Amino acid sequence: MASVEFKGIVKRFKDNTVLNGVDVDIKDHEFVVIVGPSGCGKTTLLRMLAGLEEVTDGEILIDALRVNELHPSKRQIAMVFQDYALYPHMTVEENMSFALRLKRTGRSEIEARVQEAAGILQLQKLLKRMPKQLSGGQRQRVAIGRAIVRNPKVFLFDEPLSNLDAKLREEMRVEIAKLYQRLNATIIYVTHDQVEAMTLAGRIVVMNKGIVQQVGSPIEVYRKPANLFVAGFIGSPTMNFFSGQLRSEGDRLLFVNENMKLPIPSFLLHDGDRHAGREVVVGVRPDDVLVGRDGAECSGKMEAVLEVCELLGHRENLYLKLGGLRLLATVEAFFDRSPGSAVTLCFNYRNMHVFDAATERRISE
Amino acid sequence: MDILRSVYQVAGFIVLISLGVAVLEGYFYYHFKYYARSWFFPAALTVFPLLALAGYYGVTWEHPLRVWAYFVAAEALVCAAFRNIVKGRNTLPYLLLAPAFVGLALLLVYPFMFEVYLSFHDLKLTTIMMWKNTGHIPFVGLRQYWNVFTTSPLSEVSFWALVGRTLVWTFSNVFFHVLGGFALALLLNNSIRFKGVYRTLLVIPWAMPQVVAVLAMRGEFHATNGFVNIVLGRIAAAFPFLAHLGVGPVQWLSDYPLLTCTIINVWLGIPFMMVVILGGLQSISSSYYDAADIDGASYFQKLRYITVPLIRPVLMPALTLGTVWTFNNINVIYLVTGQAGGTEQADILVSALYKAAFTYNRYSYSAAFAIVVFAMLFFISVFYLHGFDAAKDER
Ligand SMILES: Nc1ncnc2c1ncn2[C@@H]1O[C@H](COP(=O)(O)OP(=O)(O)OP(=O)(O)O)[C@@H](O)[C@H]1O
Ligand SMILES: [Mg+2]
Repeated sequence: MASVEFKGIVKRFKDNTVLNGVDVDIKDHEFVVIVGPSGCGKTTLLRMLAGLEEVTDGEILIDALRVNELHPSKRQIAMVFQDYALYPHMTVEENMSFALRLKRTGRSEIEARVQEAAGILQLQKLLKRMPKQLSGGQRQRVAIGRAIVRNPKVFLFDEPLSNLDAKLREEMRVEIAKLYQRLNATIIYVTHDQVEAMTLAGRIVVMNKGIVQQVGSPIEVYRKPANLFVAGFIGSPTMNFFSGQLRSEGDRLLFVNENMKLPIPSFLLHDGDRHAGREVVVGVRPDDVLVGRDGAECSGKMEAVLEVCELLGHRENLYLKLGGLRLLATVEAFFDRSPGSAVTLCFNYRNMHVFDAATERRISE
Repeated sequence: MDILRSVYQVAGFIVLISLGVAVLEGYFYYHFKYYARSWFFPAALTVFPLLALAGYYGVTWEHPLRVWAYFVAAEALVCAAFRNIVKGRNTLPYLLLAPAFVGLALLLVYPFMFEVYLSFHDLKLTTIMMWKNTGHIPFVGLRQYWNVFTTSPLSEVSFWALVGRTLVWTFSNVFFHVLGGFALALLLNNSIRFKGVYRTLLVIPWAMPQVVAVLAMRGEFHATNGFVNIVLGRIAAAFPFLAHLGVGPVQWLSDYPLLTCTIINVWLGIPFMMVVILGGLQSISSSYYDAADIDGASYFQKLRYITVPLIRPVLMPALTLGTVWTFNNINVIYLVTGQAGGTEQADILVSALYKAAFTYNRYSYSAAFAIVVFAMLFFISVFYLHGFDAAKDER
């Protein structure tokens, strides 16, 4: 198994810059998930690591060895493609053993390795089938099996579950987590599904527009988003944002806009005076909008009007209107109020985020 | 005023054809409209043969009873077809298809039947006048088929030599068609500049009328003025050691007629294979090649294990067609060697068949011959299509 290092990776297609200086360090045995919106360059990054795409600028190191010019087969990586790319004219067994057969590995060893991988993925009964005779989930397992058989240093997964239905996706997610524990391999996994990212990752790399926005453990990325993009992208439902200005009144720091006036406690922003006059955006997750109840460290009460309720089962989404602002709160079911009624709410300071409006960076603790 | 007369004749011809189609459509229209009624079949069996007999009377008045019997039999067949095939279905498609089927029957089925009839009789230069005068020719059973295998259609070459030569000709042509088409398709499938221009240029031999293309190429193989010999002469002059090895102008048309035909036909046939294979190549998803790259396949391994198996579904039908066309290719051979007496060194089965029929006037013999050739092609096609099905099952 191996470490992977991206150093200042730049990728241009003609004059369209897709990746702009990506620096990521991936340690041995790490499970790294790359998330980002569609078209942000995740697949491109993975394909460059695999050697399927030229690197415009920068360096890729596997085990401290520069691999920019190395042929894909020499990099000791295995990739599971989004569409699986199983060879349609070969049986499952032939698909899995193709790489070994090309290397003229001995028959008995091929047999042993295919059987082992088939055992891990429960494919023994399907070995003689053609890919078209398999279901989506089975194909996906074959694609993983093809990767395992090669015994690679690094596994690359490109949205492997995006073609599956929700239930199967859940099952396969657990399978992949088990597989990781069993293989103890270095895995780089691309997805735009948040749940996959949060549950599987040892570390998450959040990308947008070809730039790495934040690298950190799932809980770091969720609790301390480094900027507005990460705050809005991670977490579902999306965080509420309010823009306004910081003012100091006496020894207190206040967040002010047309609809609200919030004192900002000092554990959120030290040296309050230094920030006075700054244009900021405040973010509060729907979970941290407390409706009709008190919390330990909370803002003062505010009056809002309930517009719409959405019952999700054990939780309920409340669409509220606070003056001219709309915001979303999620509360325990059942919130027995009819739309149009007035409610009181407050924000949980412990999980509030303050971002600079100009730089979009996080300035709160 | 010759022009006016031509226009008048053409217009008359068109009117005649339209009338024919109209009569046909009317005929089928009443069948489709009323065939379900109980009174229709007796009425049809009396009315239509009598109408047809009236039309026949307009042309000639020979054997009226026999002709009437034919018409009744045909009408009975049509009625039976309606009763058993068309019944209860949506009839409009059949109504629209009917004239085309009648046309096909006239152009394909009738000649084929006539050919089978001829092959069991003896129609040749010495019996053709008898046929014309009495309408009878001697029935000879299977003797013509026996003759096909034991005598020669030509003066110098035996039947079995012709079979061997045809197989060699077909195999070598199709082999080079596929090889050349595959190579060019692989080149065109890369991302190169001016791809459209190359593709157009390469398709030209196929897009031109074959007669023009073959005659133009034949000119290039002329002994003194042809491009090929001029180039060979220049090469021999420039590199004396090559001349020592025997490189120099060649009497293509008289010394190597079959080779010349092969070269020309290869040139003509490559574009078709190229277009078909290129279509196949472009339908292969590039992710298979990505996967193969990661699996460590070299260029030739990718060709062998990915490209070739994946274009087999388009290649097999093209190969079947190419084989039949080449086996049956009389154009190139006739145009290159057949004119002005011609040589027999380049004759294959079908060109020998043509000569047997229209140079040696052995009509019945060549009818039997044609049926033998047909049977051969039939089995080759079945063999190929079987292979195609097997290839499809793998997918
Ligand atoms: N071969 C190519 N030529 C030109 N532009 C390309 C090429 N491949 C990708 N791009 C561009 O690069 C950008 C990033 O593409 P990429 O496939 O890496 O996105 P992604 O993050 O994987 O998106 P998704 O989540 O939809 O898979 C896109 O804007 C795309 O248009
Ligand atoms: Mg992608």
